[in-house]
Amino acid sequence: MIMITTTHAFSAKANSAMELPLAIWFSPMFPVGAFAYSHGLEWAHEAGDISSADDLRDWLATLIERGALHNDAILLAEAYRAVARHDANCLAELNELALAMAPSRERHLETATQGNAFLLAIRKSWPCAGLDFIDAREDIAYPIAVALAAAGHQVSLDATLDMYYLGLVSNLVSAAIRLGMIGQTDGQSIIAALLPLIQENARDCASKDLDDLGGSAFRSDLACLRHETQYTRLFRS
Amino acid sequence: MFSVARSDIIQSAVPLVPDFVRARGGVRARFGASAHRTHALERAESGGYRVRFPRIAETCEAVLINTGGGMAGGDRMHADISLDAGAAAVITTQAAEKIYRSQGALTEIDIDLTLASGSRLDWLPQEMILFRGSRWQRKLAANIAADASLTIAESIVFGRVAMNEIVDRGFCHDRWRIRRGGELIFAEDMRLDGNPAQLLAARASSNGARALATILYVATDGESRIDEARNLLADAASECGASAWNGMLVVRLLSHDPQELRADLVRFVEGFRHSQMPRSWG
Repeated sequence: MIMITTTHAFSAKANSAMELPLAIWFSPMFPVGAFAYSHGLEWAHEAGDISSADDLRDWLATLIERGALHNDAILLAEAYRAVARHDANCLAELNELALAMAPSRERHLETATQGNAFLLAIRKSWPCAGLDFIDAREDIAYPIAVALAAAGHQVSLDATLDMYYLGLVSNLVSAAIRLGMIGQTDGQSIIAALLPLIQENARDCASKDLDDLGGSAFRSDLACLRHETQYTRLFRS
Repeated sequence: MFSVARSDIIQSAVPLVPDFVRARGGVRARFGASAHRTHALERAESGGYRVRFPRIAETCEAVLINTGGGMAGGDRMHADISLDAGAAAVITTQAAEKIYRSQGALTEIDIDLTLASGSRLDWLPQEMILFRGSRWQRKLAANIAADASLTIAESIVFGRVAMNEIVDRGFCHDRWRIRRGGELIFAEDMRLDGNPAQLLAARASSNGARALATILYVATDGESRIDEARNLLADAASECGASAWNGMLVVRLLSHDPQELRADLVRFVEGFRHSQMPRSWG
């Protein structure tokens, strides 16, 4: 279901087979365990902050424009450039920064677990140059792992950012459907409605740098704190 | 001279200072431990900034004072605080800091905290009040030894409540970078640009809450105190939560009412530190 949207956005952007791996890396079948994370949505639902499709769309729009997704995209772009110029030190610093930007225990888990799993799958099945820039024993943040694979396979940064954003948004919409917040049709409508915003922010983040980091998704971060003590939980964040 | 000029500004409805009148200054202090207690070993003050050390029995306390009474666009303040091995200090401010409307230039605050082995710093300034049209940028950097203990409690209020000021224009960027044993362990960039009130109104942002606080505790027992932290927040009126990981503990509070936020923050910090707030907090 999500694959349909994914493939559509992908084919609109890609000009060559070089970008095909993205369709797999951001599909639900890629073994990063994305399905286990709700980025605080589970608490926001419990607390009554999201009770309609419009609420969810607005919540996700904030994450895209000035939440963790936006910072991730900037870090991904910077890491992609570091890999492209073979700057392992810079990449290590970006990874340290990306991990340090997690605002809570579960968000740290969310980015490190997916990053580690993503890189492990790349090492095993999609080997490329540059993977030795990161020590396999160290945690790697998800956007940094994606940057490493994308630059290593010479997938374009623009397409990678589009797909990273879309992958995360699709995953959160999928989480919302499983939580019973919205129905399948609403889920598709939300993704379709957010696509222009995703593309706009992905494009902007491609040329942003570390001075542009920053956000104001305070209650999304707070939801992740509250989720830690939520009584009944389906998700790990 | 400056303080006179600034009090005029406070009283006027449109606090503005020409770009050429800029206050640059700050304080530098170094604390060291002797057998029984911590002393300020060095002190340097510049511009309109002062640091005072009220005599208090058990702890070394420093109070930062901005004799200008607020900061305008183009003003820059630098606080450089270092603690030698084993020293323990509490730092606060004499009053809430006001960031006035700017004609374009940033009001910049740089905080550098350096903690040597076994030292402990509690950084407890009063609120930062951002006026409509202010352009504020802070960079808070801490470099602490692996076994040092750092508490930071910072709160930000958008607009003056008494006059129901809506901050519908302005810029703020608050960057924190905390390193422990050389490793970056906590990084945060809060940024609002354009129409802060409108941006804050989004439900995933602050849902219109104008007062925000973050408390960060980095210490060897940081993670083990999470239940204690949550208990201390149990009766808070503000929206709040706590988390602990990687040898640190974070508490976040958010409220529509700055007084409510302040009361919750005080109750938490006093309970967590087992000690009253510095006297300047009233």
